[in-house]
Amino acid sequence: MSAIAHFLESEGIATTGISLVRENTVAFSPPRFLWVPFPLGRPLGVPSDPAFQHRVIAHALSLLERTTGPVLEDFPEDPPQVDEVAQFACPVSFAAEPSAAPESWSARLCDEVAQLSPWYAAAMAKRARTSVGILAETPAVLASELGACLDATVMLAPQRCKHLLEDLKAYYLESMAAQPGAQATQLATWMWRDTHLGAAILVLHANMRDADDASTREIAAALLPRWVIESEFARDAGGVGG
Amino acid sequence: MVRLSDLPDFEAQHLLAKNGTLPGPRAWVAPTRKLSQRKVVLITTAGIHRAGEEPFAASDASYRVLPGDTSGADFAMSHASVNFDRSGFQDDVNVVFPIDRFRELVAEQKVAALASHHYSFMGAGLTPPAYESSVRQLAEILRRDNVDTAFLTPV
Repeated sequence: MSAIAHFLESEGIATTGISLVRENTVAFSPPRFLWVPFPLGRPLGVPSDPAFQHRVIAHALSLLERTTGPVLEDFPEDPPQVDEVAQFACPVSFAAEPSAAPESWSARLCDEVAQLSPWYAAAMAKRARTSVGILAETPAVLASELGACLDATVMLAPQRCKHLLEDLKAYYLESMAAQPGAQATQLATWMWRDTHLGAAILVLHANMRDADDASTREIAAALLPRWVIESEFARDAGGVGG
Repeated sequence: MVRLSDLPDFEAQHLLAKNGTLPGPRAWVAPTRKLSQRKVVLITTAGIHRAGEEPFAASDASYRVLPGDTSGADFAMSHASVNFDRSGFQDDVNVVFPIDRFRELVAEQKVAALASHHYSFMGAGLTPPAYESSVRQLAEILRRDNVDTAFLTPV
């Protein structure tokens, strides 16, 4: 972000915007940024809260009036606290130990995707949009492809693997977010700990992380969040078909 | 969040490792017009694009064009990082790409106009010099679109 600001400004285009990691912006010292105390992934702070988003934008735009720089200012508001609803109950009865389920990966993943289907439909009806769509195939087809590769212990092409997983994760998270009481932090934990998809990604990571091919290792490093790598359920995951 | 003191040490160290410097002399455009006279482009590094468009690669300094009349309803996100929360974007595209908010600013005549197109990069895994070529090329396009101001959002 700092680089884009710097090069645009050197071309005569004024820039302002949002900084999420203050220490990085201090180091790079781009022309103008507003640091915000929001989670990574939410630079405007609160989804579906136009008033809050407008306050962030107005503050960042006000930096354009400064006559000297660089400017790094702090946004004074934290995002509003969300009430933690009583323990979020996953609506689909997944196996307690996903990798121990008896069916093939293909059967498990396709069944899981099918069980989430009504919640995905509910999410689409509510939001009138989806972020699923990096690849052209439907989630059911992608789940089948992923499962077939795991069952045959065949590697997907690394970049396709990454995009396929991003589409499936988006499908899962959008479906689950349609549930009453679902919270973002709970959804992430649920997906990685309790679903066959999470178990499949852990196996893929274990299979790919020591590959001879550098591009495969690079994709493997981008499959798991750092907090999952540090977690017990990641350390316990096996490779080669789980 | 995101105060480094609130993060696990491995996350804080990872983010601090991204610190660096920008090449060349410091750039600065002095203010010459009011906000209500500015034509604004939105540029995000969230790695979003229209569904079905070529996804971003693992290390990728290119950009995708987001048409100015887009609703944002069909955006996918192929950002390489898995270390940020995507649920906000899935709920409301404006939390990373505030197109509806800027349309409201134009309707209220607080901003003069928006660019005919907006742009998405994927900010991960590369140092600043990697972006110079594509950003300078984009700057020429923005000048032809009479854009004088860019609003930048990370992810």
